[in-house]
Amino acid sequence: MRLRGEDGYAEFAAARAGHLYRSACLLTGGDTHLAEDLVQETLGRLYVSWRRVSRVGNPAGYAQTVLTRTFLAHQRRRSSTERATDVLPDLADPHSAADDTPLRLTLVEALGQLSAKDRAVVVLRYWEDRSIEETADVMNVSSAAVRTRCVRALGRLRVLLGDGLSEYAAR
Amino acid sequence: MPAEHHESRHDVDAGLFEDRLGLALRQAGDSFEADRSGLVAAGEVRGRRLLLRRRAAVVGGVAAVALVGVGGTLLVPWGGAADGQQSVAGRRSTPTPPAENDGRVSGAKLVHTLKKLLPQGEFSEEQGRGTGAELGPYAQVVFDDGKGPGAVSVSLNRVEPGSEEARQWTQCPDRNLMSYDRCTSSRLSDNSTLMLFQGYEYPDRRVDTKRWTADLVTPQGHHISVSEWNAAAEKDAPVSRANPPLSTDQLKQVVIAKAWRTAIDAIPKNPKGQESQGQDPNAPAPEETPNTPPGTSGATISQTLASLLPKNVDVVSKGGQETEYAYLVVDDGKGKSFLQINVQPDMSDVEHQLFGADAETLPDGTKVATSQGPGEQGAEGVVMWTVDTIRTNGLRVVISAFNTGRQHDPATRETPALTMEQLREIATSEKWQQLG
Repeated sequence: MRLRGEDGYAEFAAARAGHLYRSACLLTGGDTHLAEDLVQETLGRLYVSWRRVSRVGNPAGYAQTVLTRTFLAHQRRRSSTERATDVLPDLADPHSAADDTPLRLTLVEALGQLSAKDRAVVVLRYWEDRSIEETADVMNVSSAAVRTRCVRALGRLRVLLGDGLSEYAAR
Repeated sequence: MPAEHHESRHDVDAGLFEDRLGLALRQAGDSFEADRSGLVAAGEVRGRRLLLRRRAAVVGGVAAVALVGVGGTLLVPWGGAADGQQSVAGRRSTPTPPAENDGRVSGAKLVHTLKKLLPQGEFSEEQGRGTGAELGPYAQVVFDDGKGPGAVSVSLNRVEPGSEEARQWTQCPDRNLMSYDRCTSSRLSDNSTLMLFQGYEYPDRRVDTKRWTADLVTPQGHHISVSEWNAAAEKDAPVSRANPPLSTDQLKQVVIAKAWRTAIDAIPKNPKGQESQGQDPNAPAPEETPNTPPGTSGATISQTLASLLPKNVDVVSKGGQETEYAYLVVDDGKGKSFLQINVQPDMSDVEHQLFGADAETLPDGTKVATSQGPGEQGAEGVVMWTVDTIRTNGLRVVISAFNTGRQHDPATRETPALTMEQLREIATSEKWQQLG
């Protein structure tokens, strides 16, 4: 039985799940289990509000916003406090590409060293190609805060990645 | 890419870095392959459940990722350039040979200095950066005294004398939050502070690579960090010997060598590539300072928590973080019990996710949710009892008690030292509101 207003949801979810999952993997710094959980939660929420979402336009952008907010809310909900030196996530994922080179691990691990909000800024700005203002909107913070986080996150990534990034990008 | 309004070399470099980052992120992101149909099916199941439960949003089963394990003490803070870049460098397939001309004290010179300070043996895989290098000076070699190769590295950095960062570099990590073999912190005759640490590359010990370090901070703000491993690289290399090659005393002799201080003095002030937070003239004043989030200090929380404990328990040790989080280890005569608490302001926006339809509402509007389940760290037999509360003004107080003195150690007693009722009394105490 189909719920009223469900039309198009399944097609949308099937088309976007892969991208959402990849975004989530970057957001979580390579924690694929948490990434799966976040995507399921995001798709679940889209399912509930699909009728409205599908009418508004750009459901893909909306889904990304839900994913980012779900991730940030999850970080806050945890009853412990995050630190940059937290244990590294489980990177040994059987679903990952076979050529799982150390360079990929390096970037994902470097992302994992950022704070959750800094990571969200990096993913939105450089993976989703969102503007400062759009990023601010998704994260419910001012654009000044996004700029500050961006400068800081890039500074840290430069230190963490060093020359590795140019080698990476040249592959 | 964000608009850059100036054409300075720094901006061009920054733009290049951002371009590369975008490309690298896409490559990294694309390498994660999803089980799409599984995700879609699971998403729909969640959607239906959400519809059924309406207000009580489902919080996912595997979402409870415990990250507090290595939390409390900043063993490797990021103010400096020390650790992360070494890890990255160690992973590079072709290490960059040290240069002769990258600063007043070159990378080659630093490697030479390091080798001279080490006992007799063979050296290989020499890497280094000089004092003029954007990413800061360091030297690393693989040293073999005949008993197997071990990586030894030194990194140099400047810290603000007397600052929190300077203090943290030489403060032993909290044993309740991180497991290691030995650590001492002492003051030397020249008023430098020295931390000698014997621990593991992976705090969860999934690989038994040992990591021994010596960190020295001088009153003038030199920070020297020497690390060694019982493997040819810090990560991704097999354990090659029982212990790292240098004894703690030898490590100390390396770290206190005056040559390192001379090299740090040669680092230009404010070199490129250092943390640029707050220094970008184009960046308006931050709306928030992420390193010092608003919220009650950990010390105040710890004090308040101690004052609310039942009379039959003693506080064995305590700790916590800068804000919002504290823990106590208590003993009621039957063994230690770890007690942690978060006091978080302004959590109204996630209230409906934390407190479902089954949450209890007190006469003053405070909501209370309780749970009793296995501990977050997966240690054997550990249970975690939690009382989560939120006031009408969004103040969340969540307290958990464990049947062990350290979260990642196996259970040492049947139940935590406090009952659910006692936890509930603490969490709903009026004192939390008064902390402001």
